[in-house]
Amino acid sequence: MGLFETLHILIIALYALGTLLFLTGSGTGNNRLRRVSVWFAAAGFALNTLDLAMVLLDDRAALSGSAFYFNIMAWCVLALYFFLWWRLRLEFLAITALPLALLLFVASLALGGIRVVMPPVLTSLFFVLHIGALVLTIGVLTMAFGAGVAFLYYNRKLKTKAGLSSMGRDVPSLDKFDTVNRWAVLFGFPLYTLGLFSTYIWYLIAPDRPFAWDAMKVVSLAVWFLYAFLFHQRTVLGWRGRKPAVLAIWVFAGMCISLLHHAVTFRAMP
Amino acid sequence: MNRKIILVGLNHRTAGVEVREKFALTDLEHVEKGLLAHCPLQECMALSTCNRVEIVAVTRNVPEREAMDAVIQYWAGVCKGPADLLWENTYRYADLEAVEHLFTVACSLDSMVMGEPQILGQLKDAYRSAVDEGSAKTIINRLLHKSFSVAKRVRTETAIASSAVSISYAAVELAKKIFGNLSGTKAMLVGAGEMAELAATHLLHSGVQSIIIANRTLSRAKELAANLGGEPIQIESMPDRLPDVDIVISSTGSPVAVIKAKDVKQVLKRRKNKPMFFIDIAVPRDIDPDVNQLDNVYLYDIDDLKEVVEENMAQRQEEAGKARAVVGAETVIFSNWLKSLELQPTIVDLVDRGEEIALRELGKTLKKIGQVDEKTRNALETLVLSVAHKTLHEPICFLKRRTQEEGSAERFIDLARRMFNLDDETVPSTAHMDRKTTACSPEDIEQFIDASKNKEQ
Repeated sequence: MGLFETLHILIIALYALGTLLFLTGSGTGNNRLRRVSVWFAAAGFALNTLDLAMVLLDDRAALSGSAFYFNIMAWCVLALYFFLWWRLRLEFLAITALPLALLLFVASLALGGIRVVMPPVLTSLFFVLHIGALVLTIGVLTMAFGAGVAFLYYNRKLKTKAGLSSMGRDVPSLDKFDTVNRWAVLFGFPLYTLGLFSTYIWYLIAPDRPFAWDAMKVVSLAVWFLYAFLFHQRTVLGWRGRKPAVLAIWVFAGMCISLLHHAVTFRAMP
Repeated sequence: MNRKIILVGLNHRTAGVEVREKFALTDLEHVEKGLLAHCPLQECMALSTCNRVEIVAVTRNVPEREAMDAVIQYWAGVCKGPADLLWENTYRYADLEAVEHLFTVACSLDSMVMGEPQILGQLKDAYRSAVDEGSAKTIINRLLHKSFSVAKRVRTETAIASSAVSISYAAVELAKKIFGNLSGTKAMLVGAGEMAELAATHLLHSGVQSIIIANRTLSRAKELAANLGGEPIQIESMPDRLPDVDIVISSTGSPVAVIKAKDVKQVLKRRKNKPMFFIDIAVPRDIDPDVNQLDNVYLYDIDDLKEVVEENMAQRQEEAGKARAVVGAETVIFSNWLKSLELQPTIVDLVDRGEEIALRELGKTLKKIGQVDEKTRNALETLVLSVAHKTLHEPICFLKRRTQEEGSAERFIDLARRMFNLDDETVPSTAHMDRKTTACSPEDIEQFIDASKNKEQ
């Protein structure tokens, strides 16, 4: 077994163990188990970073038409999770971040990622603008999705006053969940806009690829409009709490559909 | 050994308030000295709070019943009350039952409000005073230290104290679930009732930045504002100030709703939907219940808060089972230590420890020098074991001599057990606050030995 295979198995094992322990810890209310699971995830994250670095060092062209974008997404989701954990102490979001990172990493090996044909001249620029921005948006939206679901669940508990004792002291406040949503909107929407519209610019500068509407582009644009509506309501009208949480979940769902569509469409391409 | 641990006490369950008042001990130092002087006791410690009096003691060579009688007679005498009445209202435990009861008290499992933290502080104060008076010696020392660690374990391993069991504290806990950190939040009292004042005090202690007191009578608002450090306003100005506050506690005597849903809707618009928490402790209610239907607004009335408290109480009862299991397990550990305070088991433990170290070191040496024949190996084993035994001759002789002296057996045996760490205890880094931290790894000790020897030469 080569170094890469061993590394991949180790990363999957660490992510899987982290996910399993965190879910068990959350189910049984065992704080120690949850803390241990985050350490496992951190170890997996470190190896994932090493894996990505090794791929890049091995073959610079890996970024163009490569097969590891899912792998980067897994890394990005966890990077954002650790950032939020550091800033807001939201250990709780591991409930979404860990399973998704595991899923994305396994998918990167199983599906081989999304094959994107790059314009040969502007590869690096296009990568940063399109792939980089979209991967970051997915990561940000994953966190917003987790925070949104948690917000709705605990908001309902506080409103109906039912089962409040199960909302222990270690559960973050509604305000923290809302802060994640705010960050996801403030940073995620500009990133998504950049990621999406850079594709259209690419069509303009690549003369051999004429622009044509297809289902993938329509879904992506629909998600952008939904995201834009959320951005407007949140920043201009001051929406907070339940409504932006619901909208963030819808945006995330739209993004997932769009992502799956990308995966299927590009795999089918010759 | 003929000493026994006994515990005599009364609490809110065994004695009414009149009896508790009558037999409360005010001058504990004097009582402890008196108990040692007039009763057949080696050690003792007394605890007296509004809900309980506990006297824990170690008897001299007398039957436990005799020691308990003497304690009750003395206690009744100090309080100038009839001993019969005291006997009727007290519980009496001996040996492990006494240990288990003390652990139960320290963990707040026997308190009126289960899980309340005050009792541990009171127990620590009582112990400190007994140590100062010299009435707490080897066994009481160990018993109380153990009870503190059991209480800590129960608090960390169970959720016995994790939820609020008073209305005002429940309100604060709910506010934290909404806003997280309360520093930076502002509160308003509408009406200046006693309960609202209590909730406001809790909020201020939890970090609420400022408080506005709106009352029909401005003078009462001013009075309360002076106490709490808030801003007094007339109740008529309340709607204009509502957008400035995050938490509203209402307790007016108004027969109709003072705060209506449509008003709060306007307030929310002005606040750009920043969340608001309304606590309505008035009957009839001051705040329109429809307020709770608005997004980012949370309304709790007195019944809701009572339900939260009851739910939390039920949760504490569930946790009590786990806590009792911890107490049971720790009592067994303590009983093992108690048994080890005999000379015989201590000598066995000392020799075992010495042999274990000798054989371990021999193993290391054999690994370094490689294969040796059976005869050499046996000779080396005999050598190291004999060194281990010989090194222990003097300490064992010393212990035998000391344990023949009246009253010093436990002290020296306990000292020996601690010196040789026969109970495999780890000393927490915070155990001695005013002591310098010293490194105690094997390498540090080796260095220390070398340095000391070099200095000597």
